[in-house]
Amino acid sequence: MLKRLIFGRVAGMLLGGFALLAAGAAQAEWPERPITLIVPWGAGGGTDATGRMIGSLLEKELGQPVNVVNRTGGSGVVGHSAIANAKPDGYTLGVITVEVGMMHWAGLTDLDHMSYTPIALYNADPAGLQVRADSPYQSAADVIDAIKANPGKFKGSGTGQGGIWHLALAGMLNDAGIDPAAVPWVPSKGAAPGLQELAAGGVEFVTCSVVEAAALIDAGKVRSLAVMGDARLGAFPDVPTLKESAGLDWKLAAWRGLAGPKGLPEEVTGKLVPAFEKVWNSAEFQKFMEGRGFGLVWKPEAEFATWMSESDAGLGSVMKAVGLAK
Amino acid sequence: MRLNDAIFGIVLLIFAFAVIVYSQSFPATFGQSYGPDLFPVLIASGLAVCGLLLTLKGWAARRKTPWFESGDWAKDWHKLVTFALVPLALIFYILFSEFLGFLPTASLILFVLLRRFSVGPLAALGIACATSLVIHTIFARFLLVPLPWGLLQPIAW
Amino acid sequence: MDVLLTAIGLVFTPYVLLVMLGAALFGLFVGSIPGLTATMATALLIPITFFMDPVPAIAAIVTTVAMAIFAGDIPGCLLRIPGTPASAAYADEAHALTAKGQAERALGTSLVCAVIGGLLGTLVLATTAPLLAEFAIQFSSFEYFWLACLGLSCAVMISTGSVLKGAVSLLIGLFISTIGIDITAGHPRFTFGSVEMMGGISFIPAMIGMFAVSEVLRYVASSRQKPQVPQQSIGNVFRGLGPVLRRYKLNLVRGGAIGTAIGVLPGAGADIAAWVAYAVSKRFSREPEKFGSGHVEGLVDSGSANNAGLSGAWVPALVFGIPGDSITAIVIGVLYMKGMNPGPTVFLNQPELIYAVFVAFFLANLALLPLGFLAIRLARQVLRMPQRILMPIILMFCIVGAFAINNTVFGISIMLVLGLLAYIMEENGFPIAPTILGIVLGTMLEDNFMSSMIKADGDLLGFFSRPIALSLGIVTLSIWFLPPVIRALRKRSQRFSQ
Repeated sequence: MLKRLIFGRVAGMLLGGFALLAAGAAQAEWPERPITLIVPWGAGGGTDATGRMIGSLLEKELGQPVNVVNRTGGSGVVGHSAIANAKPDGYTLGVITVEVGMMHWAGLTDLDHMSYTPIALYNADPAGLQVRADSPYQSAADVIDAIKANPGKFKGSGTGQGGIWHLALAGMLNDAGIDPAAVPWVPSKGAAPGLQELAAGGVEFVTCSVVEAAALIDAGKVRSLAVMGDARLGAFPDVPTLKESAGLDWKLAAWRGLAGPKGLPEEVTGKLVPAFEKVWNSAEFQKFMEGRGFGLVWKPEAEFATWMSESDAGLGSVMKAVGLAK
Repeated sequence: MRLNDAIFGIVLLIFAFAVIVYSQSFPATFGQSYGPDLFPVLIASGLAVCGLLLTLKGWAARRKTPWFESGDWAKDWHKLVTFALVPLALIFYILFSEFLGFLPTASLILFVLLRRFSVGPLAALGIACATSLVIHTIFARFLLVPLPWGLLQPIAW
Repeated sequence: MDVLLTAIGLVFTPYVLLVMLGAALFGLFVGSIPGLTATMATALLIPITFFMDPVPAIAAIVTTVAMAIFAGDIPGCLLRIPGTPASAAYADEAHALTAKGQAERALGTSLVCAVIGGLLGTLVLATTAPLLAEFAIQFSSFEYFWLACLGLSCAVMISTGSVLKGAVSLLIGLFISTIGIDITAGHPRFTFGSVEMMGGISFIPAMIGMFAVSEVLRYVASSRQKPQVPQQSIGNVFRGLGPVLRRYKLNLVRGGAIGTAIGVLPGAGADIAAWVAYAVSKRFSREPEKFGSGHVEGLVDSGSANNAGLSGAWVPALVFGIPGDSITAIVIGVLYMKGMNPGPTVFLNQPELIYAVFVAFFLANLALLPLGFLAIRLARQVLRMPQRILMPIILMFCIVGAFAINNTVFGISIMLVLGLLAYIMEENGFPIAPTILGIVLGTMLEDNFMSSMIKADGDLLGFFSRPIALSLGIVTLSIWFLPPVIRALRKRSQRFSQ
């Protein structure tokens, strides 16, 4: 009696399921059901905040719920793998970040930028060089001279070992002709704990993005000496570029973009890219990004792909130069 | 299921030894004198010491405490199967929820467990389906947890 | 004063009050389900707060979190399954009270202490935030290392039974915390090539496994049906609390102070606050032997501490934009979005908004009293359900909860493995609380030790090189080494006198 009951139930369910599955495959104009947007970093961080904003605006644009899902851990490897390994049907998308071009060099994964279908780059924040407010250094050139004079004396922080802001420091030193090991890196769980160390006097430099240091700069605890980008930032007009401050060409930015797994069909990208462009241009999104001080950049599809491959090559050569690549 | 302390001691010793050996394969770090193997080795050494003490303690008490005491339930076939059913249910969910979908998997697991705990068939069926539906609605609908639809994808609501 | 009145005016509008009520119900619900944390509740609120003014947006978050942290006590007390990590420290104790038929007494105590702790924390936040933040920002990895050591000492104080087995349990927890990519070197440890393992063993599925799954296993293995404990209905959960509170008023204040202090420090939140408060309570109790057997004293301390920790965490978040815990990490994003950029200037530029946040804190904690009361009445019904029906349903909730942490079945695997481990451990007299504490504190201990060693170029004296670190170090070392020394001295003097 019981067995028959279970069997009947399961069989009925399976049959019903398959019938509907077959019916479902025939129709379909993307998107006909909710979309999952994977964020490879934790709730509360910058990537999560932008992801959730994009999710809620994209939801209005596409008329289907967009569920933001955090897949954290492993220096971003876990979440990035989840995006790359999803079915390329347009129902799983993700925010990918600069680490895509780093983790394979570090030997953590085989994934690289070729594992994704680029939708668009929407944000890039250049690294900055931050010191404590009472620090004797007034320019990036002062810092470089001091490090040259005292190799091994100063410490830097701002992210984990081999993370993006570690590269910012190591690359800068490399560019100035100093051994990157001259400033040992004190790993931290992201920019905020690194800045805390800086303010508490535990380290001398933090090379996170200027934006991440904004609150402490306002509070008069921390000064930013240089920004490692092409031009000064709109929100921080007083902070010179590294070129102006120390004559170095080194540039590095953390970036974020929307992407799907490799091989998204054109009917998906054909609808998704214009929808995302509308979102990016919307007053809400612009206001949100400016409010947080996030740098706004727009590079759709092919441009995004070129950006990623350039970023990947650049990061790779620096990581090799400073001994972080495997 | 009670075991003599010495058995735990020996297991801990073996485990600690394995951890220490394996940790030797961790690379030294760029520009740093302390590697990722430091803490695992320290912890494993602590475990090894504790393991040794447990072994000695268990050996000293071997007359009083048997090596293995299974408890009444393990002698009873019925109970043993029920006990195994809990981890099996979790393994079943881990393996098949993605394909079958949350609703069928959860209903099935609940139904089987309820029946095993001797709840009447109709009541079990009702509770299983109702609970699955309620959980699904709360988590997937309101808390946006992406529970898999699996086979029911085409009728997803 | 005008500012305060304006702030009160901002909060006491029908819209804000309605938002707070909705948030309260949401928070109570999320908190009482194991696996759904206050952090997750906050993250879920973000898209909704996009479309709100600053005051209702922040009020919604504050209310949700305060409710969720208390609600975590409910399943912890009734089923020995903590609803949020902040309740893990005293779930055993509260459940022991339930087993004695005093579920209402336990929950009533938790509730009132949560309210008082929350109010104390808010008071500190509202009056001394800038000052406290200046202190908190002095903490570097040296100080955090000592704090983590102090936290680990709690394991010794809270564990019952054999010291050796407690040590094994703690070491197992510490080992579990080393799994995954270590941040010092970026090297994957004990992951055996699995991408999921690289992310490490998440604390929440581990906790669900060790508490809930092992409980289900124990139910199955127990040779007879556990007799349903008739719960003494005291009708009103608040009745009879007066004497309890009077007796333990010192504990209430102490718990609140510990909670606030730990909350203020970035990187340590309500969950660690509850552990520490519980351990301190036991250490200084006149009846430490009663702990673990259903004694309300520990509940008073830790129930007050975790809710106080919530407001404490806002101190560095508001003043320096440095999150005090994972919840305020999200809150900072909301603050920026609403144009209330964190920094000392926010107190000067928009004092009415900041005060409105404080008013919302007070109101949320006060609202906890009636709403928590209703929640307790409702939750009590759970105990009426026969266990053979309850247990499978609990298992299902655990599955979903473990899944929801990272939205992958890997969480369920963690839950299963640690559930079996905890079952075997408890059957053989190994306490599980130290394991959980080890998982919580392990990374904090290792990260800060490594960072400190790099900063000090390997010189161990670096751990005593800064004033706060020096004092913390001395306190820690004396807690570790003084008791045995004193004991030895006493023995000697006894011998002399003989």
